[in-house]
Amino acid sequence: MKTYTFHVNGMHCQACVLMTESELQDVSYITKAKTSLEKHSVEVTGDFGDKSLEVIAEELSNVLTKHGYSLSVEKRVRAKQWSDFKIAIPIAISFAAVFVILQKIGIVNLVNTGSVSYGTAFIIGIIASLSTCMAVVGGLLLSMSASFAKEGDKIKPQLLFHGGRIASFFILGGVIGAIGSAFQLNTSTTFVLSLIIGTVMLILGVNLLDIFGWVKKLQPTMPKFFSKHALGVSKLNHTLTPALVGIATFFLPCGFTQSMQLYTLTTGTFLQGGFMMLSFALGTLPVLALISFSSFSIRNSSKAGIFFKSAGLIVIMFALFNLINSFVVIGLLPPVFNF
Amino acid sequence: MKLTIISMVIASALVGGAFFFARGNSQDTALSVQNVSIADGTQIIEVKAKGGYLPRKSIAKAGIPTILRFNTSGTFDCSAIVRIPSMNLTKNLPPSGITDIALGSAPIGKVQGTCGMGMYPFEIDFQS
Repeated sequence: MKTYTFHVNGMHCQACVLMTESELQDVSYITKAKTSLEKHSVEVTGDFGDKSLEVIAEELSNVLTKHGYSLSVEKRVRAKQWSDFKIAIPIAISFAAVFVILQKIGIVNLVNTGSVSYGTAFIIGIIASLSTCMAVVGGLLLSMSASFAKEGDKIKPQLLFHGGRIASFFILGGVIGAIGSAFQLNTSTTFVLSLIIGTVMLILGVNLLDIFGWVKKLQPTMPKFFSKHALGVSKLNHTLTPALVGIATFFLPCGFTQSMQLYTLTTGTFLQGGFMMLSFALGTLPVLALISFSSFSIRNSSKAGIFFKSAGLIVIMFALFNLINSFVVIGLLPPVFNF
Repeated sequence: MKLTIISMVIASALVGGAFFFARGNSQDTALSVQNVSIADGTQIIEVKAKGGYLPRKSIAKAGIPTILRFNTSGTFDCSAIVRIPSMNLTKNLPPSGITDIALGSAPIGKVQGTCGMGMYPFEIDFQS
């Protein structure tokens, strides 16, 4: 019985630890496998006979490839690349400045109407995506899509997010129109929700920076209970999660969404309410799509490191912005931002 | 190296622009706007809500029945949701119209309010 340590490529969360361990332990000659997320390595104990390290690595790799992981004898060098920050920091700061300028210019003043048609709802959606709501929904989307893109996921999670969001806006908008009362969370629930989202965004943002390995452990995933008993662990994480987050954006504390909900109340029927919120969601789509697909398309370019670090910094800024504002709204802090 | 310098120059320019805009806005809060009136023993404070609250600072009289009147016109941003934490007050304003919030007789002091998302503030200074 011998114990060898190999390096694992492609792991990014706790579920991956379980997946790799369970798959490897299913191999006939392996008795024990222990994966370390922090060190990106796995320790396998078994009866390898005369096989060389390289052969073992290749055999075990084949077991894991279908889930997106591979084993190697040599560690794939992941230099921290501090030089990326020289460009990433100015990019993040410019983004913040553009954001502030957009608000100050008074982009919201472009809407000047009492009654809202589907076209107006669409335009309101566009304005919303360029304004402070971007800090809430856009920030969350950026943190999620950049994280997925970084770990090599295909385009499916993005499509599921947008699909989930648009579907939920249509259906829930319809429900609001039909039953005549809006899904407004009370103040304390909104506070808790904002805290959770702000913290999740902060963790994802720090992870994108690729500096602190230990933060990866904190990254939220499906609870272990689901992972152990459900088939296709990574599928669950990469299919259900983006769709759920997309649907959940309906309830996020974004001023525009809430105002639109209130207006939808007055429409009176399921179809009218549904189309109203649908038009709004479609208005927010261009900017949101830009955010998520730019993460996806840049992931393999040589500039990817700079992009992900900028994204990480921007996400962290938005996370702090949202967290501070949650405390202001609940009254624990006096107003901090003065737009 | 060139890329770094270019990006830093652009960033500084944008930050400068942002500060310019920010300073410009805080100038007009120093001017007192006549938005407080008293009629039939009731004080009415009028505030416009759209992309923020105007005026940001109001000066009113303490100790008399007060109504906070919000004026919205095509307001779909978070200003439509008024939040005054000290009074545990959350009010949704319609996209267009006039909404009155009764504050009762306020004691001397400052009342802070924000929009639903916390980033547009307003303040009422109740003086004797």
